[in-house]
Amino acid sequence: MLSVKGLRAKVGDEEILKGLDLTVRPGEVHAIMGPNGSGKSTFAHVLSGRDGYEVTDGAASLDGVDLLALSPEERAQQGLFLAFQYPVELPGVNNTYFLKAALNSIRKARGEEELDAVSFLRLIREKLKILHLDDSLLKRAVNVGFSGGEKKRNEIFQMALLEPKLAILDETDSGLDIDALRIVAEGVNALRSPERSVILVTHYQRLLDYIEPDVVHVLYKGRIIRTGGKELALELEERGYGWIIDEEHAA
Amino acid sequence: MTAASDFTSWLDGGRTVSDGPAWLADWRARAAQRARVLGVPGRKDESWRYTSLSALLEQDFRPAAGPALPAASALAPALITGFEPHRLVFVNGDFVAALSTSGALPEGVRLGSLRERLATDPGALEGRLGRVAGAQAPLFSTLNAAGFQDGAALLIDPGVALEQPIELLHLSLGDTGAILAQPRHCIVLGEGARATLIERYLGLDGAGVCTNAVIEVTLGQGAELRHERLQDEGAASFHLSTLHLDQAPGSRYRGVNIGLGARWARTELHCGCAGRGAECDLQGLYLAGDGQLMDYHLDVIHSVPECTSRENFKGILYGRGRAVFDGRVLVARDAQKSDAAMSNRNLMLSEQAEIDTKPQLEILADDVKCSHGTTVGQIEPEMLFYPRARGIAEPLARRMLCLGFAGEIIEALSHEALREQVTEQVGARLEQASG
Repeated sequence: MLSVKGLRAKVGDEEILKGLDLTVRPGEVHAIMGPNGSGKSTFAHVLSGRDGYEVTDGAASLDGVDLLALSPEERAQQGLFLAFQYPVELPGVNNTYFLKAALNSIRKARGEEELDAVSFLRLIREKLKILHLDDSLLKRAVNVGFSGGEKKRNEIFQMALLEPKLAILDETDSGLDIDALRIVAEGVNALRSPERSVILVTHYQRLLDYIEPDVVHVLYKGRIIRTGGKELALELEERGYGWIIDEEHAA
Repeated sequence: MTAASDFTSWLDGGRTVSDGPAWLADWRARAAQRARVLGVPGRKDESWRYTSLSALLEQDFRPAAGPALPAASALAPALITGFEPHRLVFVNGDFVAALSTSGALPEGVRLGSLRERLATDPGALEGRLGRVAGAQAPLFSTLNAAGFQDGAALLIDPGVALEQPIELLHLSLGDTGAILAQPRHCIVLGEGARATLIERYLGLDGAGVCTNAVIEVTLGQGAELRHERLQDEGAASFHLSTLHLDQAPGSRYRGVNIGLGARWARTELHCGCAGRGAECDLQGLYLAGDGQLMDYHLDVIHSVPECTSRENFKGILYGRGRAVFDGRVLVARDAQKSDAAMSNRNLMLSEQAEIDTKPQLEILADDVKCSHGTTVGQIEPEMLFYPRARGIAEPLARRMLCLGFAGEIIEALSHEALREQVTEQVGARLEQASG
């Protein structure tokens, strides 16, 4: 599914990713953890094609398609989804219109027919339920006036609607209270399938209580320095990152 | 073609309203005289500082020798599905009864050709026509007073509420040469009367027409008018339009100005809150692309206490488009408790586009709530990335954000059919701009 090899990327003159390797197979949920400044969000942004990052070396492909050669919209059309840490407000852009444009752009790229208004609304109502969202949300402008929790739920709702192959959740747990976290986690769990992979980028172990990962990675100074099972996350929770970093330095 | 040195050719010939009562002839003669004295405003004239008249002077616009007689089919492209107003149609400034459908009007509403009203019932207009514009009207309003061909007269008696909107539909047909069209509309709402008035200006072919329209609006005590003006003239056209508004105590005016077409367009809004507690809400949206100039002048005067005014104009500029926003709110010495908020926000889609924006508050009273704000900005990269990360191609993402920006003003329109129409027109222009 996702194959990242020796990925190096800079912001300005500063190298943030320093040879990152990662393989995610279909249906797997990977957690990428690490201390602040380790490059977790940069990795999410570089994969999604955001401006402001320069990839200097390495490769990233999704089902064999070279992601780095594609525009952000083409990556999304290939089945990549980024749930934003800070979802962006789009004043005046109606949510329904936005969702329909997104879904139909992706369907078109896949060679599927665009959905008509009726089937679209039916689909959207079904997906709203998964995230316990009210359909008044559809009449509002994208993310405008949404609470922090609503914004994060809206991201997962979009993911439910767009049905990506690979979803990257960038600190989706940050700023959520326990109830909102549970709803978001339920939403993600409902979307788990043998064909869909998920990367959870997170600072805390808390989210992993609700979404159980298959693999846990520790990112430090732009490289993955440790990979393990879900027990690694528990160990990190208990002992912090210091011991792994010390071992890394010793090695 | 040699450029004319002034606009006196606009005063010659044509078919101005020459018959009628003595007061009318006097007023028009004085206007002609004043127009000659005013001459051509230059860059030293504050309200023309950013706008050159040379392109207009290069053209030799003349009043048409006779009314254009378009086929009924000429109207078809101008109609909006789902929008059925009382409609008066003007072609190059002349009223065309055959295309108009004013329908059954409630008692107490008089709507029809100004020229006809002047011929049959001049008393109804005496002391009204020309009153709001006043003796010191600016040049193009004055030229219109001297040279207008026809227009609409709308007189609504006190207490009458007109539910169905009234549309003044102006078509510019330029196939018979460089035509000057000068309609003048006289709108009077009696005490407590209510109405919705839509003015549309459309160029149905590519040829150049110069429209110099004036509308005088008098609102009686507690009267309410929604007044929406949609300008979508042809790409070779010039468009001048002047509103003169006079508000009695407690009256409400809600105006929306949409400017999309013409190569050179100037809109002047002269609004007087002369009655306590009057509310004046002016909103505007303009687009300007290659070869276009959109020029807005607002002159809102709070002359008595407790009036509220809102001025909210938004512009989208692309290609080599240019716009001018010159908004002035004057609060007179005695106009305590005035409440005014002016805003002009501009979205620049290219580096070649240009905006001159100058909001001004002149406050002579000491107990007021007034504010103004201007922004000139570009689409935020963050805002563009978000829809792209959802699979939406960049041109559509841009268009979506621009329509979102414009949406606030479009939403202020009174009818869903108009909102849809304007959204579509704005979208089409933006699509053209990016393609």
